[in-house]
Amino acid sequence: MIKLKEIDKSYVTGSQKLEVLRGLTCNIEKGEMVAIMGSSGSGKSTLLNILGLLDGFDSGEYILSGESMAGLNERAASKYRSKFLGFVFQSFNLISFKTALENVALPLYYQSIPRKKRNIMAMEYLKKVGLEEWATHLPNQMSGGQKQRVAIARALVGKPKVILADEPTGALDSGTSKDVMKLLREINAEGITMIIVTHEHDIAALCDRTIHLVDGIIDKC
Amino acid sequence: MFNRDTWLEIANTVLSHPMRTFLTGLSIALGVFILVVMQGLGFGLQNGVKNQFSDDAVNSIWVNSGRTQLAYHGNKPNRQIKMRNSDVDAMFNQMDTVDAYSRRIRIWGVTMENEDQQSNFPLRGVDPDHQMLENTTLTEGRFVSRRDVVEETKVAVLGATIVEELFKGESPIGTYILIGGVQFRVVGAFDDPASRWENKMAYLPFTTAQKIFRSNDKVDQIILGTGDLPIAGTRTLTESLLSWFKDRKVVHPDDTRGVWMRNNNEEYERFQNIFLGIELFIWGIGLLTLLAGAVGVANILAIAVKERTKEIGVRKALGASSLSVVGLVVQESVALMIVSGSAGLVVGVGLLEIVSPMIDHEYFKNPQVDFRIALVALTILAIVGVVSGIGPAIRAVSIRPVEALRDE
Repeated sequence: MIKLKEIDKSYVTGSQKLEVLRGLTCNIEKGEMVAIMGSSGSGKSTLLNILGLLDGFDSGEYILSGESMAGLNERAASKYRSKFLGFVFQSFNLISFKTALENVALPLYYQSIPRKKRNIMAMEYLKKVGLEEWATHLPNQMSGGQKQRVAIARALVGKPKVILADEPTGALDSGTSKDVMKLLREINAEGITMIIVTHEHDIAALCDRTIHLVDGIIDKC
Repeated sequence: MFNRDTWLEIANTVLSHPMRTFLTGLSIALGVFILVVMQGLGFGLQNGVKNQFSDDAVNSIWVNSGRTQLAYHGNKPNRQIKMRNSDVDAMFNQMDTVDAYSRRIRIWGVTMENEDQQSNFPLRGVDPDHQMLENTTLTEGRFVSRRDVVEETKVAVLGATIVEELFKGESPIGTYILIGGVQFRVVGAFDDPASRWENKMAYLPFTTAQKIFRSNDKVDQIILGTGDLPIAGTRTLTESLLSWFKDRKVVHPDDTRGVWMRNNNEEYERFQNIFLGIELFIWGIGLLTLLAGAVGVANILAIAVKERTKEIGVRKALGASSLSVVGLVVQESVALMIVSGSAGLVVGVGLLEIVSPMIDHEYFKNPQVDFRIALVALTILAIVGVVSGIGPAIRAVSIRPVEALRDE
């Protein structure tokens, strides 16, 4: 599903060049559930951004679902994002003035799906994460676990092939974390590839395998 | 781009900061309101002055005589200059063409009688072209004709006030009226809404009036039509006529009272220029006010984009294209402009509509804004909306989801 080969990525800040990823190579198969671990500054967020087409890379090869992702412009990137990828963030990143249903329906809006159909689909996914009764609630009326489930529904609604989760349990207590991970596992069981960035070992332990990043190279795959 | 969802999005974001939206909208509405009201006032002034002019034809030159100021060729100052029939004939003889003309004499307070009704009114002896030169609007019958003047017929054209007072509003055409004890046949009636004073007037053929009421050959005033002669031409014509006439009447060339002429073309042009100036001034102020509003909107949008950095980042991660992000900001700006601008427009036009009937002044009439101006204002608003949205929109597009979504 995902093939990374010799990926280099550096940031230039003033006169200094900071090499974040150095010749990173890695394969993730379809239907895998992979954890990415690493200390802060190890480049795991950068890796996730590159995987998520939110950021480009300097050299190397990135093949997503059989298509090369090198040198994409903004427009192509956003097209592939909505076609292949779903995002789950640590701080949920729900849009505060939209209801749970509207938040879930947002990716479909950008795919130009008509409103009625969009809302039916969004409702379906809210049901899937067990929040159909919260459809008309605003994010600030929900608990952290509920918000993250809405965010997961939003990531799923575009029928992505891969879900990228950046510290999905980082803002949740351990009980809720377990529930969220259980949900992610169920989704993964339906064949969606799952990539989870985390620094918690017990979260990583719930995944199929763990990629350890140290100073921009893979320590253990 | 202009579907229901887009507008729901805009309504959502705009209404999530009601106070801020209100204040920004207020500055725009105020700008448009000021523009509209000033336009209205400008129009009112223009209408009023135009109305004053509508009394006389714009393309005319008025020849008058008075008392001399300066001694000249053995004549003492303060000499009354008299225009006579022979002067008029000589004047026309030395002119290349005479487009239209009317000699004119005026008699004050002449007794007019119809059956048992009688009252005093002024009258004028005129030539046929007087109708055009004085903008007289006939309500029935006809005006004094060439034949009337040549044959010195005893016919009269009466103003609306005379018809009302002596004929109790019934049609006077074909009846006979006693003017100064002499019987005249009424051939026409007129109504000049611009001037109440004019409506008290009776018009008689020039020759008849001169013979019966003056029994001399003096002419009070000569009005010359200039047709479609351009303004420069009328200026030279006035100058050459004036010097010729001064020469004939032995008036000092620098004397301004003995013989004088008023060129309505020039007067009108002067007013036209003043109006142009006023109009430019009003547009200037209005547009600057709008500009201030636009800067305000651009400022608010910039802040809003900054605040929404994260949200825009999320939208991009969820598949929003750059175009849709630009659309989000620019359409919000345009919507804000149009909605609040229209509010200002409606309030401004409404105010003028309410105030307009209350104002009745000679130089101020119908302070209204025409539809074109409203359209122009809205178009400007839309353009300004786009322009002030572009800066913040570019900023929004340049937001990278990476940075927007980084948790700090």
